[in-house]
Amino acid sequence: MKLTVDERWDLIDKIAEQVVKYGEYRYRLKDAIADITVKPLTGIPIAIAVLYGFWSFFGAFAGFFTDGFLVKLFDNHWLPWLQEVFPGKGGWLYYIFVGDPAADNCFEAFGVLTSALFVAIGVVLPAIVAFYLFLIILEDTGYLPRLAVLVDTVLHKIGLHGFAVIPMILSLGCNVPAVIATRALETGKQRFMMAVLLAIFIPCGAQLGIMFKVIPGHVGFVMLYLLAGFFVFGFILDRLLPGKSPEILLDVPPYQRPIAKNVTRKLWMRVKSFFKVAIPFVLLGVIIVNLMYLTGFLGWLANLLEPLLCGWFGVPKETVGPLVAAFLRKDLAVAQLSAIEMTMPQLVTSVVLVSLYFPCVATFAMLIREGREGGLKGVSQYLFGGLGALIAVIFLWGGLIRLIWIILGVA
Amino acid sequence: MKLNKEMKFEIGRVYFAILGAVVLGIGIAEMLLGVTGRSFEWGIMEMSGEFLLWRGLILFFAGTFYLSSIQNFSDIHQLAKTVMASVMIWIIAGMKIFSMILESIPGGEEGGWFNTLEGFLASYSAPYIPSIFLLPFSLLVLYYIKLVESEEKMDGMKEESQPTGSGGDT
Repeated sequence: MKLTVDERWDLIDKIAEQVVKYGEYRYRLKDAIADITVKPLTGIPIAIAVLYGFWSFFGAFAGFFTDGFLVKLFDNHWLPWLQEVFPGKGGWLYYIFVGDPAADNCFEAFGVLTSALFVAIGVVLPAIVAFYLFLIILEDTGYLPRLAVLVDTVLHKIGLHGFAVIPMILSLGCNVPAVIATRALETGKQRFMMAVLLAIFIPCGAQLGIMFKVIPGHVGFVMLYLLAGFFVFGFILDRLLPGKSPEILLDVPPYQRPIAKNVTRKLWMRVKSFFKVAIPFVLLGVIIVNLMYLTGFLGWLANLLEPLLCGWFGVPKETVGPLVAAFLRKDLAVAQLSAIEMTMPQLVTSVVLVSLYFPCVATFAMLIREGREGGLKGVSQYLFGGLGALIAVIFLWGGLIRLIWIILGVA
Repeated sequence: MKLNKEMKFEIGRVYFAILGAVVLGIGIAEMLLGVTGRSFEWGIMEMSGEFLLWRGLILFFAGTFYLSSIQNFSDIHQLAKTVMASVMIWIIAGMKIFSMILESIPGGEEGGWFNTLEGFLASYSAPYIPSIFLLPFSLLVLYYIKLVESEEKMDGMKEESQPTGSGGDT
């Protein structure tokens, strides 16, 4: 039997009459709470409180495992044992795998089995678990879409929309899934802008964990400086790049209680995939940097870049080693910075430079992959456009921080 | 004497007005201390440490929420503000308690894997941040949440029992 359009609608009405109950929807306390979390006047203070909770949880949780147990395990047991049993003390193999024979902590030894393992397991693992656990709870309660609504107006100023907050927050864990998450944005312009901005300005969870160890009192300043750079260069990119930034409609789900099983499953999936990407690069990074050091290449490169590093950025030439390592792992580079003798403003500048400097190789590969969606043109846009933005940012934003120190009289 | 609904909300209004004024005052004090880089200790309470400015800012907003909710307190929108003000205090106090618990378990830098009993107990000794003291006072909001929820439930049941059959969500 074939029905006409009108007959179909009549049938729908008849079924609806039988199964749908009509009534007045009662506005409940839950709805009122949901409303005030998206209104800027009340939503922004609540967002500040939530972000405060986020940071406090991150610091307490990661500190409990890292400072409470893992530092002791690595420094008091693992390092002395390795220094004792590893053959060929003073040889190049020893240097690559165990690092400095005189080191009394894994942070400064800089061997594959000491620093690299300590960074990956001792510092990064607790930081990443803390980060993703809190993020998943925010996701599953329904707070994240509300945050997206809240920041929509601000992000519109730089040609993005509220949903861009999702890759932004994700990249605080790891830039790789965050670059993938830019696919949720509407246009090619928005996707490119977001991918480039987060790869340059947003430090990953691993890097944050190390930053809390190396410059504990200055992490807030560094984050604010990077965030300011994100918006300034976002604004410039929005004006320079052709393309549209359309409006979108956001579906905001009701608040709900997170289910423990879902939280643990998501946490396991994210931590597992992060480690598949991170660990090989951390180990490889230490091997490459140590080889470059042993062959004298790093010293040559440091001398070559000395005028730029010392003259423009005001940091010691030895920072060239961490900058090379930053291409493989930024967390590793920040850890390496702590072993170089310099003043606190120089250390903070170096940390900012490592953050702004070339994205880590995993993120870089992901950027190229995203560009491939647009064929050869897309790849060249992501590669050369990204590089252009990066060079401008590192010189301008990296140089500006030195100017700030000069104005404050501390440089 | 059994209190009626209006009386209960009137008591809540006065209670949260006083609490709001206290929370706002502490928030302003913490913000000023945070900006000037100073600390303050009074008996078993202290205003110092990391994120003092942020804690002050959050308490300032929480106090403002409480105070702005006292007019027409029984209205659901106003109560929502009271709930969120309390949640903001719970976040600060909860995170402080959480970090105290985590810090009390491992031994010190030079100590063993786990803390001694003395060290464990010492981790919980005074002074405490103001939000810890505000926490129990902010819990009264749970009573009002329960009150409103039971009312919502009753209204829902009344609508369900009406012969017209209306009342469900579309």
